[in-house]
Amino acid sequence: MHLTLEFGGGLELLCESVKIHNVNVDLPKGADKLSMRDLLAWVRTNLIKERPEMFMKGESVRPGVLVLVNDCDWELSGQLDTTLEEKDLVVFISTLHGG
Amino acid sequence: MEADSKPKKSGARLCCVCNQNRAALKRPKTLEQICRECFYAVFEEEIHQVILENQLFKPGERIAIGASGGKDSTVLAYVLSELNRRHNYGLDLFLLSVDEGITGYRDDSLETVKRNELQYGLPLKIVSYKDLYGWTMDEIVKMIGLKNNCTFCGVFRRQALDRGAALLKVDKVATGHNADDIAETVLLNILRGDIARLSRCTSIITGEDGPIPRCKPFKYTYEKEIVMYAYFKKLDYFSTECIYSPNAYRGFAREFIKDLERIRPRAILDIIKSGEDFRISTTTKMPEQGTCERCGYISSQKWCKACVLLEGLNRGLPKLGIGRNQGLNSDGKKDRKRDSRTPSIESKQCGSLEF
Amino acid sequence: MACNSSTCNSSGCYKGYVEEEQPKPNTKAAVNGGNSCQNLCVKCKVNEPVCCGIGGENSRFCKDCFKNNLYGKFKQAVTYNAMITPPDKVLVAFSGGPSSRVVLQFVHEMQYKAQKNYDANKDKSLPVFGVGVAFIDESSTHSFTSQHIEKAIEDIRLIVSNLAPPSKELFVVPIESIFSSDGIDGKERLKELLDAVSDVTGKEDLLSHLRILLLQKIASENGYTRIVLGSCTSRIACHVISATVKGQGYSLSADIQYVDSRWEIPVVLPLRDCPAQELNTLCSLDGSLKIVELLNGPCSGINGLVSSFVKVLQEENPSRECTIVRTAGKLTPFHFNRVPEIHDSNVPSATRRHQKRYTLKPNGSLSSDSFCPICNSPLKKSNFPSSLRSHGSQQNPDLFASACSSCQFQILPKDPSLMEEFLSLLPQQMITKAKHGDQGNFSLLREQIQEFLFSDGENEI
Repeated sequence: MHLTLEFGGGLELLCESVKIHNVNVDLPKGADKLSMRDLLAWVRTNLIKERPEMFMKGESVRPGVLVLVNDCDWELSGQLDTTLEEKDLVVFISTLHGG
Repeated sequence: MEADSKPKKSGARLCCVCNQNRAALKRPKTLEQICRECFYAVFEEEIHQVILENQLFKPGERIAIGASGGKDSTVLAYVLSELNRRHNYGLDLFLLSVDEGITGYRDDSLETVKRNELQYGLPLKIVSYKDLYGWTMDEIVKMIGLKNNCTFCGVFRRQALDRGAALLKVDKVATGHNADDIAETVLLNILRGDIARLSRCTSIITGEDGPIPRCKPFKYTYEKEIVMYAYFKKLDYFSTECIYSPNAYRGFAREFIKDLERIRPRAILDIIKSGEDFRISTTTKMPEQGTCERCGYISSQKWCKACVLLEGLNRGLPKLGIGRNQGLNSDGKKDRKRDSRTPSIESKQCGSLEF
Repeated sequence: MACNSSTCNSSGCYKGYVEEEQPKPNTKAAVNGGNSCQNLCVKCKVNEPVCCGIGGENSRFCKDCFKNNLYGKFKQAVTYNAMITPPDKVLVAFSGGPSSRVVLQFVHEMQYKAQKNYDANKDKSLPVFGVGVAFIDESSTHSFTSQHIEKAIEDIRLIVSNLAPPSKELFVVPIESIFSSDGIDGKERLKELLDAVSDVTGKEDLLSHLRILLLQKIASENGYTRIVLGSCTSRIACHVISATVKGQGYSLSADIQYVDSRWEIPVVLPLRDCPAQELNTLCSLDGSLKIVELLNGPCSGINGLVSSFVKVLQEENPSRECTIVRTAGKLTPFHFNRVPEIHDSNVPSATRRHQKRYTLKPNGSLSSDSFCPICNSPLKKSNFPSSLRSHGSQQNPDLFASACSSCQFQILPKDPSLMEEFLSLLPQQMITKAKHGDQGNFSLLREQIQEFLFSDGENEI
């Protein structure tokens, strides 16, 4: 599945300062759809190069990291249970940096 | 894929205000789902109401916006200039930045502020540590290393902002401290036993007895909403951590606040409410404020903290005024600072929270 | 006896109390001791140290000195705040955990000494205070096996019967008996009530409000004059943070004082200065201090988050809990944070004179202040009109409007139409309070005047 992932608010520093990643994510074995839960695990393994604890806590993002799926707050779409579709845009923004 | 998966995105949730557009976020304050346009409107209107109810500004005043280039001050500059126009506040707004002299950090963030100057049409004043004190943070760190550097930076910034404000002849400085910041400060002051700061830290206007009062129009504004606003409006802000305090945002207290917000968003406002309601006897007042004999800045001691630190730097005794090695004033107050790389209770060791 | 012991006559002890807020004497001793005594107890300098207080290396004690040090803090809290006087009958709330085990032990030792003095003294003018123990059985709210509970209760009976002489009454009371006066099935009612609260934290807090009400009931029905809680520094530190997080900044200072007389039977906290870590150490050092592993399921929601936060802070700095409690201690207490003055003419005049210094003159009007009917927090004046406005319920304006904003949010139903039903589930004690709670501004004004006078008096000391 092709997705565009964007990291902002300082999170880009955890993935070699690249803000926008066009990626191709495989569906988990035996699953017919990709959830945010799956995507986070994938991001952690494949994109985060340092200090993963700044991005994740448990199986979700660290509190203070905002997530938008197609410019919509993931708190409205079920957070980890949000189902992703082809060409979706997922944005992660840290609120914890700077100020 | 299920056949009917499309409606999830197109029409699933409508804005609870206009009932027309797709909701774009869930407001932490009210748990409402709201579309982008309605969000802009309520976000700006709430700040307007806070400004009115607390009489933060008077017509004709000159106001400096403390601008770091970060999310809070960038949004503050944008919203204040917008509200000033829309509601005819009659304010002269300025951007005021402090250049600590940190290569690869402040020079980059100042570029952001310079773009903001053009984008919002607000005159910018930059005061630098080099001009004010003769030292850049780069030079200070070269001399003292990475221990205590945040103490220097915090003390110097505080004063630099006041000096810049005086140069601009402004009546007040507006800072971008948001609700999360204030809630964190309330907790930190409890954890440190600082009852004097605890009684002051929730005031929306501070320093009215000092040279230039400061105010916090974002006192009740959630950090989440500030970041969402900046993102939706594509505002240009800078979000890199300070190179001299790389893990400073790994504070326990901030983490706790974010954990709380996740299970009960209103906790942030409840902490601020608690801070406002604490029964603190008015007889436990602050020490008498005098002026520094050397530079004339407000100080409860003979010399202000900045002059003590500066004296140490210039005499090659940078420990002067740090921790227990109190030289000139020996004001017994311990400032136990730790290596900036270890986790600590506070989120921003750079002193920006000490208001 | 108790409060008239030689360490505490007249003005000397109040000064001593103030100085105690400064660095602890035992730390000084450690510094003076220097290197030569490194391997000896910092207090007696004779025995080998077996443990440290929260002061770390500076507070290495032998077992006896460690216990005496803790007992000293307990005794000081009891004495300086006139918590227990000879004619009192005190009810110790015992949960089975280390803190309440220690407080039970200390109260017992104090009573034992008082009894010995009484027996030795020809002049029998000072009676020995009475001690009872209450265990609230909350098994109906947990999923424990009945054997588990029965075993625990058996252990508790054994512990209490071993603490004699003087012998002590034990009350084992199920939490649902708070409804007993309503003449209904308490278990079912309790379940319905807790189910009606959707917020996990609210549920937990409601249960603890019921617990204190039940303790009041037991004490009142059996002629007790004080309730002793084992709340230690750590517990109080957590309360400071969680009350702050729940927006209860105004009422917070009422909850964390040594004495809380807003209840019919005053509640006292003699372990306020003892950190949990030290109490746990004492229990593990002293084989006779058996604790009962029980119940107290993990806190969830806000309270759970707060206690893990405080735990992290405590690991980072072992005196953090003390600092938190010290900060909160600087907030202005309420007029009811002192023991009520004794009227009883049977009490020797010396005791009454002594008490006068630490107590507030009784004033009938003070009891009519406004308190939240659910959690019994004193209410801030400005909270009234806004809560009345924000809620449209006409059927039961009393309960919602007279509750504090925290209980409004986390305990009371959001939907006004459910209020009637919720009200019907509450125990009688809370409903009575809701009906009489809203006394208007007059009593608040009186409180303000009272506090003004009160703080003046404090400055003189």
